[in-house]
Amino acid sequence: MPKKQNKTKLFLLVLIPIITLLSGCEFKDIDKDVFVSMIGIDKSEEEDKPYKITLKLYVPTASFKQSPEPEYSYISHSGETLTEAIRILETYSDKELEFGHTKLIVIGEELLKENKAMELLDFLMRRPDIQLISWVAVGRPSAEKIVKMIPKGENAAYPALFNYFDGIGTESQYIVSTYLFDFARRMKESSIDIILPIIEVKKEESHFEVNKSLIFTNDGEPHELDTYATLLVNMILKNVEVADLFVKKEGHYFFTKIDSIKSKYKVKILDNNQVELDIKIHLNGFISESKKALDPEELTYYNQLFKQEGKENFVEALTELVKNGYDPIGFGIDYKARTWHNKRMTDEEWEEAYKNAKIEVEVIPGLKSTGAIQ
Amino acid sequence: MSRYYYYLILINMVANIIASVPAILFQYHKDGAVSSMIFGIVAGTILVTVYTRFFNAFPGMTLPDLLKKTTSKWFYKPFLVLLAVMWFLAGLITLVTFTFLLIRYVTPEMPITQISLTLILSVIFGCLMRTDRVLYTVELVLLLTFPLILFIFYKAYSSKSLNWDFVKEAALYVNQMPHVNSFGACFFLFLGVANLFIFNRFFTQKQKFKLKHISIIGIIATLTLFTTYFIPIGFNGFESIDKLVYPWISTSDSLRMEFFMIERVLFVFLFFYLGIAFLSILIHWHVSMEFLRFVFNLDNIKFKGFKVGKFIPVSIFIAISLFLVRRLNEYQLFQISSTLYNGLVIIFPLMIILFFFIKRRMKDAEEAKQN
Repeated sequence: MPKKQNKTKLFLLVLIPIITLLSGCEFKDIDKDVFVSMIGIDKSEEEDKPYKITLKLYVPTASFKQSPEPEYSYISHSGETLTEAIRILETYSDKELEFGHTKLIVIGEELLKENKAMELLDFLMRRPDIQLISWVAVGRPSAEKIVKMIPKGENAAYPALFNYFDGIGTESQYIVSTYLFDFARRMKESSIDIILPIIEVKKEESHFEVNKSLIFTNDGEPHELDTYATLLVNMILKNVEVADLFVKKEGHYFFTKIDSIKSKYKVKILDNNQVELDIKIHLNGFISESKKALDPEELTYYNQLFKQEGKENFVEALTELVKNGYDPIGFGIDYKARTWHNKRMTDEEWEEAYKNAKIEVEVIPGLKSTGAIQ
Repeated sequence: MSRYYYYLILINMVANIIASVPAILFQYHKDGAVSSMIFGIVAGTILVTVYTRFFNAFPGMTLPDLLKKTTSKWFYKPFLVLLAVMWFLAGLITLVTFTFLLIRYVTPEMPITQISLTLILSVIFGCLMRTDRVLYTVELVLLLTFPLILFIFYKAYSSKSLNWDFVKEAALYVNQMPHVNSFGACFFLFLGVANLFIFNRFFTQKQKFKLKHISIIGIIATLTLFTTYFIPIGFNGFESIDKLVYPWISTSDSLRMEFFMIERVLFVFLFFYLGIAFLSILIHWHVSMEFLRFVFNLDNIKFKGFKVGKFIPVSIFIAISLFLVRRLNEYQLFQISSTLYNGLVIIFPLMIILFFFIKRRMKDAEEAKQN
């Protein structure tokens, strides 16, 4: 008998029994899973069960035509730990809860004030199925309210809230978006503070407002940034590409539309534990609204006005941050990146130096046009 | 040099990103990981040069062939068994690491035995192939996966979330004394060249190996190590980087491709790395298998006319892997890898002495023949 034939026979003899071992997918079928779109974590009223978890679940539908409106179901439960609450939540649903498609984690404002962020982070980071690229935000008045609300005009199967953060929908200058991994690294580093967007729902209204942010250090009280400070941080961190800024000076009052923002920041070390924070921002754009008629020949003059106004506003907002010792931009890391680790000041000394830092802001204006009219 | 030679070196370097090498480096992120990396690159490049020069002098000859000609039986048999065990362990570590990754991230509901068996069976099938076919497989899989892995690296470097201040901070720890463990981990990256022990069989022509080729290897190694070490720091921060069990998995999960079919890069990364891990295990176990075949003359063991010899180590490999996959935990795996890497730092430079010995004896033999 030729040897080759023998080998083929042996191969088939081995292969066929192995095929019978294949029992189909070990995965759970997709109709046995229910996908969680958002997690809301709140402080509950009960004393011994501090966490209240609300999950927003996509309701499976056969086709888009069948349900053009967004449809979700909600389940919520309180527990001593997050896992315990989720374990009970699993009994509320006939299908397996699948966290792999969760894109937003909303934390209630009350809970953050309790300084529980570290515990939350442990849960969110330790579970392999939760994406590190999901966004983290603060819910006001509570995470549950935010998670349960469906604003008007929401598309089916894509919650409107995602559009605020992914930079593809609205591109507002006031929206900070923080990924979970960013939240984690800011949490664990002492020299950069956490910044989270605040999602607000006002009473009797049917839309979200995302234009403020919350800063907190690892152990300190949260500090709310108003809209303008949020914009400033956003511009320095290069989170935004477009912005509207106003100039109100020397009788002029006009708005500029900035379409390219380039910023650089660094820490300069002067002697005696004195530091200087150096920020340079290039702003290019055109004038989009003015109270007075403008003369294109005077563009250099308008640029000068813009430069002064920008500098004043930035310094003011930044001083407010620095004075309180908040550092969402990461000057602390920048300082560490510039000095040898055995020659740098301790964390306490740095905090002191940071609070007393000189602030140097340079705005390099580039207004190229007065818009479509003079 | 032949391109197949570079594949051998490249795979060992790239495969380590998912194994324990970055985790070991991050353990010493404040105690000289950076300086160990610099020393590792220098020492590793020298080792690669010496090894390649040696095998280049004997085209087409494997280490077992050379040992048989120049040393006596009591020495080379146990020595080759020791090498076989080391190569088996190196493959095993990659296998167990990847099995753990798969069960943690991709198929949490699947039994661990089944996951590892799927990997093992495909690798074993490849191990039994002839050496040249192993290299062809390597080329094929590498061509399919490597460009996409490069693309993921590019995405990481160009990501806005990569904070270069963290990277600079980490780099400033360069003035710490290097540590043995982190040096061992870096050194392991270069040991792909040791696969020439068997794969030299394929390189039957004398190759050019000049400064240009050495510098190519040095540059590739520097880039690989830089990426391995600094990119996770840029994404996850410096302070607590040693707390991550799989630094590169967390890093790839921090990447987002919003306009790609799959938004979460983690799965794409795992999928392509499955290819690289497969190749790494394949090469290691093939070498190990060839050593055993040589030592125990497995080709001569016959059962009713069939050559069954080579199936004996196969079954042992499968049994040990299945046992350890179920037995080990992540910490033990980390310890084992760390110990193995440290052992290799001692063994492989020492082997250069053996090379000198072989070279002299071969020369003597040749001269004797000429006279």
